[in-house]
Amino acid sequence: MAVGLPEFADNPENRCPVILLLDTSGSMYGEPINALNRGISTFKEDVIKDTQASLSVELAIITFGDTVKLAQDFITVDEFNPPKLEASGVTPMGEAMEKALILLETRKRVYKENGIGYYRPWIFLITDGAPTDNWQIPAEMVREAEAQKRCLFFTVAVEGADMDKLKQIAPSDRPPVVLNGLDFRALFQWLSTSMKRVSGGKVGEAVALPPVGWGQISI
Amino acid sequence: MKKWKTIVKCAVGVSHQQQNLPCQDYGDYFIFKERCLLGAVADGAGSAKYSDIGSKIAVNTAISFLKAYFDELIEKKRLFPQIPRQNTPNINQAQNLYSDLLKEVLKAINEEAQRLNCSYQDLACTLIIFFALPNSITAMQIGDGFLAVRPVDGDLQLLFTPDKGEYINETTFITSSNAFEEMQVKVLEKPCSFICASTDGLEKVAINFKDWQPFPPFFNPLEEYMKETVETHEDDQYIIDFLNSERLNARTNDDKTLLLALLTELN
Repeated sequence: MAVGLPEFADNPENRCPVILLLDTSGSMYGEPINALNRGISTFKEDVIKDTQASLSVELAIITFGDTVKLAQDFITVDEFNPPKLEASGVTPMGEAMEKALILLETRKRVYKENGIGYYRPWIFLITDGAPTDNWQIPAEMVREAEAQKRCLFFTVAVEGADMDKLKQIAPSDRPPVVLNGLDFRALFQWLSTSMKRVSGGKVGEAVALPPVGWGQISI
Repeated sequence: MKKWKTIVKCAVGVSHQQQNLPCQDYGDYFIFKERCLLGAVADGAGSAKYSDIGSKIAVNTAISFLKAYFDELIEKKRLFPQIPRQNTPNINQAQNLYSDLLKEVLKAINEEAQRLNCSYQDLACTLIIFFALPNSITAMQIGDGFLAVRPVDGDLQLLFTPDKGEYINETTFITSSNAFEEMQVKVLEKPCSFICASTDGLEKVAINFKDWQPFPPFFNPLEEYMKETVETHEDDQYIIDFLNSERLNARTNDDKTLLLALLTELN
């Protein structure tokens, strides 16, 4: 008999996987990266208040700057210690998107092997720039994943982002959202509230998400 | 003579209490001519506005439909005793019977939607319905939840695999466009001594998701309770306490329904 992984024996809750795909290129240096770090901490602090959500929401972080890096592999929020992200380098967004999609499908396989139920994963791309690598093929992969309901892909543009390219990356029915200034706190609070709703039992296909108070949907 | 001893209870989930939502589960049963047990449970979709009403209508209409079916069967037997008729249908007859039942349920849902001036999707729910005779059980399931039975000569088994999409919160509702295609029907021609029908609120603690087998430590105490209890209407505190226990609520925050039945030898 296959032996289950301890993380699932200790915590058999259904999982809500979330991948943060974060731009840590040089342009994020200074206040932007600090605000982003504080935002991630806000997310942890907020989710942890809800026992169910803290055992269900699983976070992974991929950063793209100097290199594309798995800064945090999937971990439930109760165990998560926010890393301190630093900004430098260029913007290999394409490679990061590809890595995120692979990471996600690998994780789903682990869930299945361990008999763990899961919700549709969310990928959150946050950037203030434009991809410096080949992004067209990864963008197609993202749109295909979204169309096949393999994930929900959100695109958040921080001031300075190349909106033309982001519109080509984001799935057509979920266009990029422009963040108000550097209000990452509001963004992560929204993400936390949304995750609590998703993990709060069976809700059918349509989860009513809280209104987006942290940015504007640009069409 | 063998008779059915039965109990049904619903409890509101913790998350529904927090959000001030009503209990959207519903379950009921009817014992026809002492020997035939008709049972149904339904789970209203969390995202549907009036799904608590939808689940009640689905259960009540489904049971009434089966009552009428058996009334008619008895009448036919009386009028035409020379034509042999089986109480237990074959699988094709069962499929037709449950398709007709679903049409009837959807008609009732539609009428209620018009009365409430809402979309019939607002009344979305899952449905499990069965009738158990002393020597067989004929059942139908749309969506998730489970129906576990113990044939007298065998181990507890799930009659259906809960209908889940890839994601844990995806299922089919009776109002879904693919409800007729996704409807699962089964005829088990074996006497079953114990039956447990439930909504998905208890799936996590009752079923091993790795192989979709029932988890005996969940079912055994319930079966034991049914054996020991003489009068389920009076002595139901055990089930109520179980459904509201903190230990259970730590594992599930959804509404929970239990319909239990035991075939006993009564004088």
